[in-house]
Amino acid sequence: MLRYFTINTVSELICFIIALVCLSTDKGHIWRVFIIFLFITCLTEFLGIYFKLRYLADIKHNAPNIWLYNVLLIFQAAFFSLMFYHLLTKYINSKIIIISGFLLIMIFYIFEIIRHGIYLYNELTNTLMLVLVVIGSFYYFYLLLKDKDYINLKISASFWWAVGLLFFYFITTGCNIFYEKLHHVVVSPKHYLTYYIYAGSNIILYGFWVYAIICRRWEIQMLRN
Amino acid sequence: MGNTDVKELIIYVALIFLIAPTFLLVYILVHNRRKKRHIEEKALMQLTFDAEITKTQLEVQEQTMQTIGADLHDNIGQLLSLTSLTLNSIELDGDKKARKKIDAAIDLTMRSIKEMRLLGKLLQGDQLVGMGLDEAIKYEINWIEKSGKYKVNYTNDGEMPAASSPDKDLILFRILQEVLNNIIKHAQATVISIKLEYQDSVLRLQVNDNGIGFNHDDLQPGQTGMGLLNIQKRAGIIGGEATITSNPNEGTTISIFTPYP
Repeated sequence: MLRYFTINTVSELICFIIALVCLSTDKGHIWRVFIIFLFITCLTEFLGIYFKLRYLADIKHNAPNIWLYNVLLIFQAAFFSLMFYHLLTKYINSKIIIISGFLLIMIFYIFEIIRHGIYLYNELTNTLMLVLVVIGSFYYFYLLLKDKDYINLKISASFWWAVGLLFFYFITTGCNIFYEKLHHVVVSPKHYLTYYIYAGSNIILYGFWVYAIICRRWEIQMLRN
Repeated sequence: MGNTDVKELIIYVALIFLIAPTFLLVYILVHNRRKKRHIEEKALMQLTFDAEITKTQLEVQEQTMQTIGADLHDNIGQLLSLTSLTLNSIELDGDKKARKKIDAAIDLTMRSIKEMRLLGKLLQGDQLVGMGLDEAIKYEINWIEKSGKYKVNYTNDGEMPAASSPDKDLILFRILQEVLNNIIKHAQATVISIKLEYQDSVLRLQVNDNGIGFNHDDLQPGQTGMGLLNIQKRAGIIGGEATITSNPNEGTTISIFTPYP
């Protein structure tokens, strides 16, 4: 049972529980979708460990868990598109950009599935999504800086959500670029260095997201008052 | 690949991919703080500008009223006096009907002179407040009560300081006139209470009426224009504050607090 509780699953679970407590009464649709997204992520992680253990126990008769993360990619692409639509729509008409980005990811996704099936990870789709998320975050920050109105960023939920994602994808990009050299480095008997980098980036991501959720809660309370 | 190379690589990766977003985050936060400061400064400048404009408008208005007041006294007053003298000098022998009409004309002219002097004094506020704010208020009340439509109660609590502030007196007097004008125009009141109170270097002027009142939240932006907004702006010019309390059918209370003298 303890094998199900890793740095990743624990940080995701904490974020999901906090989101459930703080955002379940939120009237903003996007934040309620965020709870569902976190639930799907947690579910994928736990199922991922389950399938991994099953696979390691009997490699011949079981498939690896990669197909599960390929499914998660669709939910990630959909939710990130929705969230960026929510972030950018305050400043510009972002419908076309968001739909184009989502369609492009889906084209890559289908192309990769056709090319190598579902049991190999859609690396190209993930890299494309990563690039689009980083561009989207930069564009959001640019619009934020350009905006004449002042927003108290210290308690802006949307801002901290985007910051968390940017940090996560920046670190992931770095790790991906140097993966060939980094994944040989053994830090502890159980794990390679890349494991700790990914775990660290996850903690940073969910740390920022937890803060974003708390900020959102403050925003709701302030609106009510 | 040696251990040293890997360590260096990790350092570079950390530097580029962790410090870059951190730098971006710090930049955004600093820029945002500057933006806040800029907006605050702009708002302050706008406030100062508005206060200057109001002050200039008041000065022009005051000057215009002084001129009208002086003209009424010096020109029209003289003409009316001359008319009265001329009418008095007419000698009619035995024509009672004409005598009656001339007496009526003399009476009307005398009343006009009296009214005009009263009005002239009210317009020439600086002369009026020269006698003291208390006297100026009494003069204004006298003018209001002449219409016969209002019962005005006036109380002056606390001894006024020996050293007065003519500028503040004049603006407070003009605020009072504005408030009373508002009551006459909109309030449908019958009783007006005015209270002047001086305590702990703060002068408080309170005007209360038993009129129809209003709901402050229901007022459209344009409706607050000349009346209530002017009162607050004028109070702000003398470093004071005006509070307006009103409810439908419960009358209105306007209080002006200002450091004095």
